[in-house]
Amino acid sequence: MELKEDVFIPAPRERVYDALNDPEVLRASIPGCEELEKTGENEFAAKVTLKIGPVKARFAGTVTLHPEAPPEKFSLDGQGNGGAAGFAKGGAVVTLDEEDGGTRLSYDARAEIGGKLAQLGSRLVQGTAKKLAAKFFASFADHVAQETSA
Amino acid sequence: MKDFEDREQRTAALKGLGCSRKRVEDARFTQGKGNYIDDVTLPGMLFGDFVRSPHAHARIKSIDTEAAMKVPGVVAVLTAADLEPLGLHWMPTLAGDKQMVLADGKVLFQGQEVAYVVAEDRYAAADGVEAVEVEYEDLEVITDPFKSLESDVVLREDLEAGADGAHGPRRHHNHIFLWEEGDKDATAQAIGEAEVVAEEMVYYHRTHPCPLETCGCVASMDKINGKLTLWGTFQAPHVVRTVASLLSGIEEHNIRVISPDIGGGFGNKVGVYPGYICSIVASIVTGKPVKWVEDRMDNLMSTAFARDYWMKGKIAATKEGKITALDCHVTADHGAFDACADPTKFPAGFFHICTGSYDIPAAYVGVDGVYTNKAPGGVAYRCSFRVTEAAYFIERMIEILAIELGMDAAELRRINFIKPEQFPYTSALGWEYDSGDYHTAWDKALKAVDYDGLRREQAERVEAFRRGETRKLLGIGLTHFTEIVGAGPVKNCDILGMGMFDSCEIRIHPTGSAIARLGTISQGQGHATTFAQILASEVGLPADSITIEEGDTDTAPYGLGTYGSRSTPVAGAATAMAGRKIRAKAQMIAAYLLEVHDDDVEWDVDRFVVKGAPERFKTMKDVAYAAYNQPIPGVEPGLEAVSYYDPPNMTYPFGAYICVMEIDVDTGEWEVRQFYALDDCGTRINPMVIEGQVHGGLTEALAIAMGQEIAYDKIGNVKTGTLMDFFLPTTWETPNYTSDYTETPSPHHPIGAKGVGESPNVGGVPAFSNAVHDAFRAFGLRQSHMPHDHWRIWKTANNLGLHG
Repeated sequence: MELKEDVFIPAPRERVYDALNDPEVLRASIPGCEELEKTGENEFAAKVTLKIGPVKARFAGTVTLHPEAPPEKFSLDGQGNGGAAGFAKGGAVVTLDEEDGGTRLSYDARAEIGGKLAQLGSRLVQGTAKKLAAKFFASFADHVAQETSA
Repeated sequence: MKDFEDREQRTAALKGLGCSRKRVEDARFTQGKGNYIDDVTLPGMLFGDFVRSPHAHARIKSIDTEAAMKVPGVVAVLTAADLEPLGLHWMPTLAGDKQMVLADGKVLFQGQEVAYVVAEDRYAAADGVEAVEVEYEDLEVITDPFKSLESDVVLREDLEAGADGAHGPRRHHNHIFLWEEGDKDATAQAIGEAEVVAEEMVYYHRTHPCPLETCGCVASMDKINGKLTLWGTFQAPHVVRTVASLLSGIEEHNIRVISPDIGGGFGNKVGVYPGYICSIVASIVTGKPVKWVEDRMDNLMSTAFARDYWMKGKIAATKEGKITALDCHVTADHGAFDACADPTKFPAGFFHICTGSYDIPAAYVGVDGVYTNKAPGGVAYRCSFRVTEAAYFIERMIEILAIELGMDAAELRRINFIKPEQFPYTSALGWEYDSGDYHTAWDKALKAVDYDGLRREQAERVEAFRRGETRKLLGIGLTHFTEIVGAGPVKNCDILGMGMFDSCEIRIHPTGSAIARLGTISQGQGHATTFAQILASEVGLPADSITIEEGDTDTAPYGLGTYGSRSTPVAGAATAMAGRKIRAKAQMIAAYLLEVHDDDVEWDVDRFVVKGAPERFKTMKDVAYAAYNQPIPGVEPGLEAVSYYDPPNMTYPFGAYICVMEIDVDTGEWEVRQFYALDDCGTRINPMVIEGQVHGGLTEALAIAMGQEIAYDKIGNVKTGTLMDFFLPTTWETPNYTSDYTETPSPHHPIGAKGVGESPNVGGVPAFSNAVHDAFRAFGLRQSHMPHDHWRIWKTANNLGLHG
């Protein structure tokens, strides 16, 4: 599965970059996120409940950030294990460009999914992933914008 | 005249051979009174369910069952570590390999059984499965058999490097066997010297029998009496009993295996699966009956698949089209374990029937079996062992040769058919074809569809298409197939050492009705109807007065079961032979009652008459009564017989199928306009049942050719694990069929019958596929792989430049 999108966030680039590394913001923005903690310099562990079509599962996963050229560009990779429901692993390259009144965030993500998730949800995965990403960025943008104006 | 009418009436009253007697089993099936495995309910019964691997290839780092054991209702969780002390964490396969019962250190295919959760009901079991925590470390996945043979990745770490397998040397760590038949040098020479050679790779994709009822069992260990009863969806209940005894150490007389009504098998229910072993162990451990029934996803992704043969062929001929040689090399993808259900000496089944209906002087076949990260299996899905692969291969090669020669494919077949006077015919690959008359069948078929008229219409259609007046093409799919069924002679056919005979035991009751028990088991074929008909004609009692019983190993005589169209050729023969034993004894009794010498009575439909005085007779009913109530000098009381039949040869049913298909070039949609199926299965026992078998088999063939497949992505996910993605035709997709027949009896079978259940799958798949190919022949198509779903047909049209 591949996902390539961009989204405008009405906040300065530095702020956006920092927020992307802020467990509080991430926990509040990730749909279905139950737990999220920073386990190392650039490492996070999370528990997220996801529903894709008929498969609902609690995924335990880790994400590692690779700050290649902060705050313009970084990449990340991660994996999640949903037990009997299956597993997912993937990565993304994220670029942040300054624009009038905010930041343009572009990402290019790839993911491999396996198990029941892939079998039952294969038709739905792309659409669901798109929807979840949109949801994430909508609440992420809200958060960041609020904090910036505050 | 009166005598004749009288005899006709008496014959008709028996409803014996040739009668379209209605199926006796349908009274219960159509009223919801069938008794399938999931209907078996015992007091205190527990339910088992598997934790399955989401990975296609991974090392297991840990299995944590603690949380699962805390789920309300969960009674036990079994892992390989629990089975190991019993030596049951691995089990032997029918193909001489071994298979993990529960994952031992690593998993090798998606859906592999990792742990077995036993609970008070299905829901608790499912919750328990969710709670088992397994930590995996994923390994490189191989789903391509060609890459597998070149990969450094060792799939089967349990096998000793460099050691021979069950079928000889293994040349690579992912190689299983090379099996060869025929004269390689003579074939190579004939191909080298040939005027015309056509070469092609023909792929028969992986699919699955997908019976409506999935696999399942109920194991019940009675610890007080030491008896294990095992109900299950078994196509071979007696073999299951023997295997269960050998594996468990429980003496065979203490194991009773019962196959109740079975909702379709098609080869899927021949093998032994981890679910059976785990249920037995769980019942022994808990002292309670344990039921295990697969869901649809379990069935499609883990129990035995079919096909997955990459067949590279070379066919050589003269310029006039006389075939001189056939060479075939198969790369056979067997998945993670070699669990093919074939007779032991035939690791590629009867694939070497691939010279088909043609007189080919030189031929060679080599089959390489290969391990990959896919489910194990390789069963005969509604065909005899690997015969549908063989038929598809030769019928595609004939079409490709016709293209190469610029010849009509019907004529090319005709000039290469084995001639009627050549039977019994020994093929270049060693089979002795028992009987056949291919020319008569072929001519009848071509005439029935007005073949020449169809070809004219097709040519006009191509012209109209080129002028832009239509976007639909017409395909004419031809097939003349030869099946090889009725395995088989004990001298070369066995399964796990058990000779492939079959059996029938008959008891005639005093009042002239009877029960016959057989070693086979119906899964929808209608044995209770047709075997009673065989017996009715043999012993002269009405079929309606004969009960047929199968599937209970405590009562039925030992037999190898039902698959590979073997029931009629083998158990049907045993039935006729047991009937003849009854008649021989009855003749002595009748002669005594009629006060004449044994030789002075003769059999007449349902009675013995005194030669030359037909008014003096004793019916079989009279004889039966006398056998139980009257002392007859020199003859034991009672009227019973048993026959174990070891067939002298296989039988070779054949047929001519023609499919006329309309194809929409822009959408890839297809419509079967006409399907004509002529079957020659020798003596016809019940024409209505035959027609039903043909219709069902053709519909499964349609499914396979036109859409059904088990597809994997590159990390080994099963992409077609539900009926949403796995094509199972409904009445909506099923076309009308016209069935027809010729009747060439088998010379070695007691009643001349050959078996028919699987012919329509063997012949149907190439007929549908050839129709698709034929539609595009004028535009240069040689080969496109099945299944021909709309997308693939669209792509074919696109690649040929037909979308402008």
